[in-house]
Amino acid sequence: MRKQRNIKKASIHIDMTPMVDVIMLLLTFFMLTATFRAAESEAVEVSLPQTLYTDTNKMPERDVLTISVTNKGDIFLDVDNYKYRESVFGDIFGMGLYHPDTLTKSEAETSGKVGDNDVKRSLMVLNKQQFEDKIRDLKRELRDGTGNPKAEFRVVVKGDKDADFGAIEDLITVLNETNTKVFSMVTMIKHEKPKE
Amino acid sequence: MAGGNFDAPDSGQGRGGKSYKKPAQRGVHIDMTPMVDVIMLLLTFFMLTTTLSAPQLMNINLPKGDVTKDKVKLAANNILFVRVTDKNEVFVSRGKEDGSESNAEKIGMKELSAKLEAEHKINEETVIILRFDRKAKYSSLVDVFDEINRAKLKDRRYAIQPMEEVDKEFLKAFGGY
Repeated sequence: MRKQRNIKKASIHIDMTPMVDVIMLLLTFFMLTATFRAAESEAVEVSLPQTLYTDTNKMPERDVLTISVTNKGDIFLDVDNYKYRESVFGDIFGMGLYHPDTLTKSEAETSGKVGDNDVKRSLMVLNKQQFEDKIRDLKRELRDGTGNPKAEFRVVVKGDKDADFGAIEDLITVLNETNTKVFSMVTMIKHEKPKE
Repeated sequence: MAGGNFDAPDSGQGRGGKSYKKPAQRGVHIDMTPMVDVIMLLLTFFMLTTTLSAPQLMNINLPKGDVTKDKVKLAANNILFVRVTDKNEVFVSRGKEDGSESNAEKIGMKELSAKLEAEHKINEETVIILRFDRKAKYSSLVDVFDEINRAKLKDRRYAIQPMEEVDKEFLKAFGGY
C-alpha cells in the first residue's frame, strides 16, 4: 500500500523559467553575432597570421575578390559571386590557380590538394599574363555588376602565415601591374595585450 | 492541503461573484519541455556555426603611379632600411647623406615599433624601406606591418623593395645570412 501512494505522487515540477530566460538570451546573442563561414570563400583553407593592431576593418560580406596564397606557393584567385565566376572562369565553381615559382611544381595542380584537403573546385591553371587578365576581368565584372563605377569592392589577400614572401612579392607585382593599388591582408586578431 | 487554500488571502475568489469548483488552482502550468528542447537545439547550432574571432583586414596602399616611370627621389639620410632575412631576422639601418648606410642593427620583431618611433623622433621625414628575402615568411611581413601600424608615427611612409644581392652582402657583415 505504501508503495502505491508513492507512485501517486507523480512528476515533480521544476520551474524552468529562469533557465529558459538565460537560454533565450544566449540564443539571441549567438543569432545576432553569427557570421557564417560560408560568407567568405572557404575553397582554400590557409592558416592566417595574427596581428595585434586592432584598428583594422571587418571582413566585408559580399563582392570580395579573394586571393589566397598557400604555404606551397600556390596562388588562388576567387570571387564570392558565382555569376562573376561563371563569366570569368566559365564555370560557377571555377577558380584560378597561378604558381609564380617556376622551380617548383604547383601542389594543387599535381595532387589536386591543398595541405590535406582536396580542392573541390574546378581549377583553371593560369600563367602570369592570364592571371593578370583574369584579375582585370574580375575587377571589371565587380565594378559593372554593382552598376556603380565607384562601388566598393575589396581585393583581399589571404596568405598562409608560412607562405614564402617570394610568392607574395610576385603577387604584389601582379597587383601593381593590374593597377590594384589598394588591397587588404586578412589576419586574425591576436588575443594578447601589447606590451608597454 | 485543500482546506487550507480557502483561507489564502490573495486567492482572488469571490471577486467575480462566481464560485469555482477548484479555487485552489493557481497559475497555469505550461509544459515548457518541448520548447526548451527546440531552443537548446537552436542554441547548439548557432554556438557551433559561429566564428567568434572574425578575420580582420589590414589595409595596404601601394604607391599610386607607374612603378617604372614615376620615381620619387629621396634624400639618403631620410631613409630607414628595414631588412628581413630568410631566417626572419630583422635588421634596421639608417641611410647617410653620402649614400652609405649606418651599421645594421639586429632587433627583435617586438622592438620594431619602439625603434621606428625613436627613429622618427630623430628625423620626422623618415621613409621606411622594407626589403624582404624571398624565403622570409609571409607572417613576418604581416608582423612588420603590424609594428608599423602600432608605432605612433606622424605619417607612415613606407615602400616595399626587392632584396638584392648587395643587401645580403651588407647584412653578412652584421650577422645576417
